[in-house]
Amino acid sequence: MTHLPYIVAAYALALGASAVLGIGAVIRLRRARQALALVGRSFPEGRPS
Amino acid sequence: MKRGLTRKTRRLWLVVFCLGGLGITTALVLNAFSSNIVFFMAPSQVRAHPPGSDRTIRLGGMVVAGSVKRETEGETPIARFDVTDGQAAIPVRYAGILPDLFREGQSVVAIGEMKGDGSFRASEVLAKHDETYMPKEVAEALKRSGKWDPRFGKAPDAASWDTMTRAEARQMDTKTAQAGG
Amino acid sequence: MRQAKGFREAHFAVCPLVTSNVRSAAEGAGARIIVTLPATSRIPPQTARPSRPGFMNRFANPGQFMRLSSVLLPWLSGAAVLTLTVGIIWGLFYAPADWQQGDTVRIMYVHVPMAWLASLGYFSLAVCGALSLIWRHPLADLAALEIGPVGAVATFICLATGSLWGEPMWGTWWVWDARLTSVLVLFFLYLGHIALIRAFDEPARGYRAAAILAIAGAVDLPIIKFSVQWWNTLHQPDSITLTGAPTMSMTMLAPLFICMAGFSLGFAAVVMARLRAALMETRARQLLSRRHADREAA
Repeated sequence: MTHLPYIVAAYALALGASAVLGIGAVIRLRRARQALALVGRSFPEGRPS
Repeated sequence: MKRGLTRKTRRLWLVVFCLGGLGITTALVLNAFSSNIVFFMAPSQVRAHPPGSDRTIRLGGMVVAGSVKRETEGETPIARFDVTDGQAAIPVRYAGILPDLFREGQSVVAIGEMKGDGSFRASEVLAKHDETYMPKEVAEALKRSGKWDPRFGKAPDAASWDTMTRAEARQMDTKTAQAGG
Repeated sequence: MRQAKGFREAHFAVCPLVTSNVRSAAEGAGARIIVTLPATSRIPPQTARPSRPGFMNRFANPGQFMRLSSVLLPWLSGAAVLTLTVGIIWGLFYAPADWQQGDTVRIMYVHVPMAWLASLGYFSLAVCGALSLIWRHPLADLAALEIGPVGAVATFICLATGSLWGEPMWGTWWVWDARLTSVLVLFFLYLGHIALIRAFDEPARGYRAAAILAIAGAVDLPIIKFSVQWWNTLHQPDSITLTGAPTMSMTMLAPLFICMAGFSLGFAAVVMARLRAALMETRARQLLSRRHADREAA
């Protein structure tokens, strides 16, 4: 009475979705940091005095 | 600053009142439609208010111990069993494969219609397991010690078994076996 | 106003790193939040302190949040991964099989945490809605923007794993009983919130509408909780109650609690990371628009 495919599917779904959310957040964080570093560095030069 | 505070308080009360009103409305609506929200009817309800024949209803209750009879008509398996809620019992006939969890003493929901002779012809049978979860060893120990017969209903008070480990259950089992033998 | 819009478009042409779906979030945040990130060392942190008094404002400062979360986030993520690893392995390989459900009961270790997070996530949306509507908390709207999709994913996984559990045990993928239907309603509430908060050109309007939806939708939470008591359902009642002993063997309850803790920590970490990213995107946008404004002025 084992229903292995159902168990595997449930775990794959839950852990897969968690991994996608986690990795997505890391990538977005990294991009945001890069974007900020880019404008942050160029900001003083771009400013007319 | 004081004005800002009062405005905040006013907004707070506005939200509280709106949520309260919405909650009461929802409660009234749900209460009014309560009979439509229930997923199944109990045998005693069906007996008290028999639905019209050919009207599909869901009949829910416990499978009476000793009532299950299985046969085959050609290729299709036929199951006959009684469903009870403790007050009334209705005989059910179902042609098809029963779910794995189907057993005597299990709660089931049968979907089908009442026949003129007071029996129920099911087109689908769903198993409704209850909220008790225990390892096989613990269930065996409870059964062997005579504290629980799953064919007659729910497990005993959870406090009496939910801290039992599998090793303890096995130990208890051998002790009962020795005392019995 | 037209001029401002022109800038906005120009910024995104300049900075392709900021993706389009982030744009609405950043615009909205830009309208409401004065981000006080210590992005350049020339800005002393003292100027970042809010001048308004009040108990909410201690947490209202995005700069404060950035500082706190930069310390908290690594610990939170680490704890989540560790707890989840222990919980999943325990649940899959060491917890006993159920006496009648067999190994299928192991679906519980992912299904129950997802159900818990679905409700908790929507509750936090409602709290954010109240913080936004009543106290005008500047972080609440951005938090709601980031919690919504994460909560919706949890709700979807709850429904999907429930279906995968129902088919082998009940004998059906889906029934329209009160528990299942009310959780499906919660999923649609999440989708509505996600759509509504991004629906307007002027973000503040979307924030307000979404906050109202979040608070009103919270009515569904007690319905979900008590559906199995108020009406008869195919779904079984709760095993863990406040009043009685849990009707679940401790050998199963322990890994369940660890999995719930692990998924909850993960949820908190993901939301915190998304919120950090959203604030940084906002800051980057602000810096860009300021530069453009200065250029335009020159």
